[in-house]
Amino acid sequence: MKNSARILIAKTGLDGHWRGASLVARALREAGFDVVMAGMSSWEEIVQAISDKEVDLLGISIGGHMEVAERAIAEARKVRPDLPVMVGGVVPPWAKKKLEAQGVEVYPPGSQMSEITEGAQRLTGYRAEPMPGSDTGRSQA
Amino acid sequence: MTDTPSRTWKTASGIPLKSSYCREDIPQWYLPEINKAPGELPYQRGAFAQGYRSKPWRIFQLSGFGKPEDENERIKFLLAHGETGFLMEHDRNTADHMYNVDHPDVLARPQDVGLTGAVMQSIRDIDICLSDLPISTTFGHAGGAVVQHAPFALAGYWTVAKRRGLSLETLPGTGQSDFFLTYHGCVPKHQIPTAAGLRFNADIIEFCYKYVKRWVPVSIAAYNGADTGLNAYQELGALFANAVEYLDEIKRRDSMPLEAAAKACGGVNFRLSMDLFEEASKIRAGRKMWADLLERRYGISDAKARQLRIHCVTSGSNMTYQQPLNNIVRGTLMALAGVLSGIQSLGISGYDEALSIPSEHAHQMSVRIQQILQHETNVPAVVDPLGGSYYIESLTAELIERAWSFFDEIQSRGGFLETLNTGWLHHCAHENQHEDFLAQERKERIIVGVNDFRADISPFEVDGFVGVNDAFDVAMQRLKDVRATRAQRPAAQALHNLERVCRNSENIMPAMMDALDAEVTLGEIGDVWRSVLGDWVAPQITI
Ligand code: B12
Repeated sequence: MKNSARILIAKTGLDGHWRGASLVARALREAGFDVVMAGMSSWEEIVQAISDKEVDLLGISIGGHMEVAERAIAEARKVRPDLPVMVGGVVPPWAKKKLEAQGVEVYPPGSQMSEITEGAQRLTGYRAEPMPGSDTGRSQA
Repeated sequence: MTDTPSRTWKTASGIPLKSSYCREDIPQWYLPEINKAPGELPYQRGAFAQGYRSKPWRIFQLSGFGKPEDENERIKFLLAHGETGFLMEHDRNTADHMYNVDHPDVLARPQDVGLTGAVMQSIRDIDICLSDLPISTTFGHAGGAVVQHAPFALAGYWTVAKRRGLSLETLPGTGQSDFFLTYHGCVPKHQIPTAAGLRFNADIIEFCYKYVKRWVPVSIAAYNGADTGLNAYQELGALFANAVEYLDEIKRRDSMPLEAAAKACGGVNFRLSMDLFEEASKIRAGRKMWADLLERRYGISDAKARQLRIHCVTSGSNMTYQQPLNNIVRGTLMALAGVLSGIQSLGISGYDEALSIPSEHAHQMSVRIQQILQHETNVPAVVDPLGGSYYIESLTAELIERAWSFFDEIQSRGGFLETLNTGWLHHCAHENQHEDFLAQERKERIIVGVNDFRADISPFEVDGFVGVNDAFDVAMQRLKDVRATRAQRPAAQALHNLERVCRNSENIMPAMMDALDAEVTLGEIGDVWRSVLGDWVAPQITI
């Protein structure tokens, strides 16, 4: 059992939507993860960040075109073939299927935060001890 | 499942609700207002006596993608289906950042270009987008929702109008230039600081007062704050906190009558969400607050200047990814709240909102819902049909009280701009959203198809809209063309002059008009902003 796991969250688009990524980051932090926010990033910046920061999971919030996110994931896998990837944001059903076929976990709008934290726990093998008096309403056992 | 005995009944913003209301629930201070007629101050019953009998609300849908010609085609499609105003979306990657397509940040993601608006880097592109559109008679949204882009979008639209021989004096439209979008809802990678944004907006207000008299120079879109997470009374309070920044600035400048400035700021944009009665009460509250604010703070007594004109958009956040056809019902209900409370203009988010920008069919549906409300329901026949309801009147009063205290809180924190600079307003929105997710997990808030009632036997899958794939290439070619074929000397002079004006405190708009006319490009103007005005330091929470 690891002490913690680090998740890098990046946005591939230049659109300013920050809500989804920041709420997801908060939920993951409350579940004990070490979350690094990379903000709006090009694929080069994402590759750089996963190399520098020793991350256990790559999270991408998709605000723009699917191909931009796909490219970032493909490039990230060149340097870290084993790195699990979770994405969310604007991912219509056709794109969800496409990404899932590439082994990416997709959490579309409406995903509950518990589904996301459980996914992260499964993919990283990390699970925090339940915090005494935790009132987050999430099961972390 | 939803109706457990432990359910606490409250509005979406958390106001506790009784099981029924009576006259005693209406506070004393508010009682005299309920007998006022629509069209009478303080207008909570309606800004205009005859309501929709004198003028139906405007059907006004957000639209745009791809190349300027793609956007032009979609606008024509919407107008042909019965839209009564039109909106131009500029590509966010380029426009919001004032980049040309050859900027490194854009080159890093070329497929994103044109995804949610057409690429318009010079007057030539704007001209294509406006081809054959009835701009002299139809209320047009020129784009420029983001503050640093507004001078470009407006000067472009107006210059096209001038070239067509139209008089700016009578040109109808708006450009928004909204602080909520720019500094609260969607924070771009680069943006001019809020103080520079305030200067631009005041410049636009002054310029319109002199030359583009029918234009709505700025349109405060608290929608963007609400869909980022502010609740109903925070949306109201923050909107007026924004408005007083503009009005105080105009007052400091002493360059135009305050009545005219009030009119200029009095075309606003609220969100309509799912709590039908709270939303209808919010709109009513907004009108009274504006009329009162102008009198109290600025001594404006002129009745016309104190009429708040309201555009609403149904909340995109309430449009679900799951079972998207349910969104047609949601769109209808949210729109109804606006129609019942007497708004002037309406956009309904598409049923495919959570999947993509609207497909043609989703757009058609949004227009059709509005037409059904206008022609089949008979709701428009009577002004303020909810007026006199104990519940609505007491909720209107309650929202007014809570909104003023939120307004006061913003003032005590240094004012609207300061709460953007420090991230306090973002924090408020974030906390509400976080709470909302917790309520969803605990099933205290049920969203059909999302955290309950997930079974779906829909016979087909809605796949959203896929745009065009040549927007980037065409934009790159056109950028090269305009640089190569424009008259170089006038372009260089106009750019130079713009920089000079930007450095001193003259109004930016005349120099912008010259720059657009001389075919100066978006990115060149952006370079001036960046070098002269610098960059806003966004609050931590947004990155
Ligand atoms: C709220 C909202 C806004 C707010 C901003 C909110 C904010 N601060 O982030 C406002 C109103 C300001 C706004 C503005 C705009 N928006 Co907007 N917006 C939305 C909306 C309605 C909801 C997004 C949201 O915040 N939902 C709540 C959060 C919690 O959900 P979420 O982000 O989807 O995240 C969830 C999952 O996706 C997932 N997830 C997300 N990220 C991640 C990351 C990881 C690692 C994981 C595991 C999971 C995950 O978990 C979350 C929890 O379930 C969507 C449509 C929709 N219903 O989804 C459009 C939408 C995203 N917007 C869109 C557009 C076009 C715009 C504008 C350009 C509109 C305009 N013309 O002005 C501007 C953008 C301007 C700019 N400068 O960028 C489009 C994008 C289209 C596209 N990419 O193809 C959408 C899809 C609407 C549409 N159909 O047109 N928007």
